Amino acid sequence: MKLGLTKAAVLLAVLLPLAFNVLVDAQRGGRGVPAAPPTPRAAAPFDLAGQWVSLITEDWRQRQFTPAKGDYVPLPLSPAARKIADSWDPAKDEAAGEQCKAYGAAGLMRLPTRIRIAWEDDTTLKLEADAGTQTRTFYFGAPQGSGGDWQGVSSATWDAPRAPFAGRGGGPSSGGSLKVVTTRMKPGYLRKNGVPYGTNAVLTEYFDRFDVPGGDSLLVVTSELVDTENLMTPYWTSQQFKRENGTTGWNPTPCSAR
Amino acid sequence: MLCVTLSGQAPQIPTATPGQAPPVDLSGYWSPVLHEDLTERGPGSEIADYGGFPLNEAGRLWALSYDSSRVTLRHHQCEAYLAPYQMRALGNFRIWEEREEHTQRLLAIHIWAQTTEGHRIIWMDGRPHPPAWAPHTFRGFSTGRFVGNALVVRTTHMKNGALRRGNGVPQSDQATLTESFVRHDDHLTNVTVVTDPVFLSEPMVRSNDFSRQPVDPGAWLYACDDGEQILDRPKDYVPHYMFGKQPFAREFAARYKLPLASSLLGGVTMYPELAARLRTVTNAEADTLLAPLGGRSPETSKGVDPEPHDGNIHIWPVRDNVYMLVGDGGNIVVQTGDQGAFVVDTGEGTMSEKVIAAIRTLTNQPIQFIANTTFRREHTGGNAALGAAGQDPSLPGSFFLVQSPRGVTGFFDDPLKHATMMAHVNVQVRMQAAGAPAGAVPADTYLDDRRRKFHNGDAIELFHQPNAVTDGDSLVHFRRADVIVAGDIFTTTQFPVIDVKSGGSVQGLIAALNDILERTVYRHQGEGGTYIVPGHGYLADEHEVVEYRDMVVIVRDRIKALIEAGATLQQVKAARVTADYDTQFGVNTGPWTTDMFIEAVYSSLKAAPAKR
Repeated sequence: MKLGLTKAAVLLAVLLPLAFNVLVDAQRGGRGVPAAPPTPRAAAPFDLAGQWVSLITEDWRQRQFTPAKGDYVPLPLSPAARKIADSWDPAKDEAAGEQCKAYGAAGLMRLPTRIRIAWEDDTTLKLEADAGTQTRTFYFGAPQGSGGDWQGVSSATWDAPRAPFAGRGGGPSSGGSLKVVTTRMKPGYLRKNGVPYGTNAVLTEYFDRFDVPGGDSLLVVTSELVDTENLMTPYWTSQQFKRENGTTGWNPTPCSAR
Repeated sequence: MLCVTLSGQAPQIPTATPGQAPPVDLSGYWSPVLHEDLTERGPGSEIADYGGFPLNEAGRLWALSYDSSRVTLRHHQCEAYLAPYQMRALGNFRIWEEREEHTQRLLAIHIWAQTTEGHRIIWMDGRPHPPAWAPHTFRGFSTGRFVGNALVVRTTHMKNGALRRGNGVPQSDQATLTESFVRHDDHLTNVTVVTDPVFLSEPMVRSNDFSRQPVDPGAWLYACDDGEQILDRPKDYVPHYMFGKQPFAREFAARYKLPLASSLLGGVTMYPELAARLRTVTNAEADTLLAPLGGRSPETSKGVDPEPHDGNIHIWPVRDNVYMLVGDGGNIVVQTGDQGAFVVDTGEGTMSEKVIAAIRTLTNQPIQFIANTTFRREHTGGNAALGAAGQDPSLPGSFFLVQSPRGVTGFFDDPLKHATMMAHVNVQVRMQAAGAPAGAVPADTYLDDRRRKFHNGDAIELFHQPNAVTDGDSLVHFRRADVIVAGDIFTTTQFPVIDVKSGGSVQGLIAALNDILERTVYRHQGEGGTYIVPGHGYLADEHEVVEYRDMVVIVRDRIKALIEAGATLQQVKAARVTADYDTQFGVNTGPWTTDMFIEAVYSSLKAAPAKR
């Protein structure tokens, strides 16, 4: 009998918090005054705004300089993509007015560049790059625009790990990443030497801020490019940017095909 | 009613265990995604490809001097990767949590890397980092905490090694590593930030990508044993290139049609400004980057002073019943047991009372023996006080006591009032010549190459190292504990004091360092095993000794080459022959400067030309 009571108490202890959450959720979402969800801007787990400079510490030669034609190791290119890369002709791109092929969303963040990030409104982030004088726009909620240009259409969410029991569907824990999914890009180059990505490529990026104790603030952009036409496997890279105080160094330049 | 009460409370995120629950689970099998830097991480990096590394002058010169055939030397063959490079290595990774059994509190996160069997432990229980005199390891000492959805890790106490594999880009033992680990579904991003005041002008930031594997890939080991790779080489041979003579320094730039300076300019190579900078670099300026810049004073050490300077004596357990005492100048070693304490060196002597008190906390037996590695004051300054505080109960009634020449030592006939002090006879001679008080002078001396004693259950050997720092240096080896006390033959803090006037020489010093290396056995992947207590600095193993030996050999070779070319001492100094080591060991003021080290090497080579 005593044992039975103990078991019941344990069960109650386990179930009560769940019941509380259900009731609290019901009250918030139903009979009570609904709490307005914070805007994406207000919900930001970290501050992205400001000027950031790229730190070219990986694939240094291929990023600081335009590699030679055919230098595409270790990109997981399909045979079709290799053929395109092997026929790269920057003069042809210039003649076609397509000097910006390496400045599309899938290639831009790996170029030596400064970027400026700012909230355009409570649901829209704008990212400008001085390399090629490009602008990317990240929309929280429904993506806007039809794409077809170098930067495509980008939809953004705050991506936080879900904690159990924090709400009926699980709630966000502290922290999180900015997740940006970009589609409908105009076909461009992953590298300036003509390594292609296609119109159906999907670029998923995670922006994380890392404040190094006693030092710099870093923005780390982890990106996955899925392009079944040109890539045998998803292409993962991560790029680092260092926060700058002020606007020194901002140097918008036109695209260059070379 | 219940709901009304609850609605007024902020929703809490329950935790399943006491303490901080990880906001993200990093556990599992992970494989590196090699879409960046594949050439470097696979076949290996190219000579003089230092682009994207914020190397200062010392770092660049260290790399240019490096000859990758150095790994053919026995003591370099099985070296593991340093923590920052370990995270870029090929092979499988496994991450798991260690939790306290009864509370399930998170104690540590472990990372096992297949390549070099790299086992990193990230302590999550709030423990402090060890003091500056604690040993260094390839993976260092790591503590972590969760910040938002990231695991943030700080690592200190790493060894000297490679920041980049294969082409000599160095990382010093003064470097610290700060990392974040962020998981995005089945992808893990690890950012490494290396701060190294010795070789870098600003932090080096890289990121490593991993994808999660659903099953155990099954390959976790990386067997390595060193052996003879090239026979009949002299023991004082270390492969390296003279400054400005790296024959392949221009290959990388030529192969990819880049300006020579492009990968040699240090910090600016990381930034968009590189292109503009390269437009202003002349060919002549690029050439100057291949050797030390002229007209500069030697740089000074950027390392942390491992001395506590807090007025206290600190005890660091070395192994078994052997302890290192830090705080009174030179390091002191104490061995305890059921017999009296065996003490090696006695420090400066300014804090002897505290040294004695510290020894009293380790044993209730008297100080029975004191061995001196040298006559130098940082190691014998406490002889009189520690000797007077001890006694040697093995001597009363001894046949030898009757024979001891009363008046020579002043204490040998009253062993219950004094510890027995032993050293090579040249220590006795030089201390007596310097007018040291009788009670401070070792009376139990040896003349030949070896003195031995079994004490406190260990075989203790003293090995004479003729003409190293002086003509009376000894190594003291505790064989069972496997601890070697090196005295000033080896330090982690400064260029070696080669006291030429007291019989020291650069060749003797190199031989002494090699003698240490002949006696060491590493435990795993080039580290651990035999401990080496330096005269000054942190507790070391053979890796620190071999790096130090390399340094002395390399500097000797440079000076020797200049002497053979007819250079004067002033010209040798102007050539900045220690430029790649100055930010580790350089000192421009005080009792032992970089210039004095160069002079000592120069004069000992002039006196007796180096032999190979």
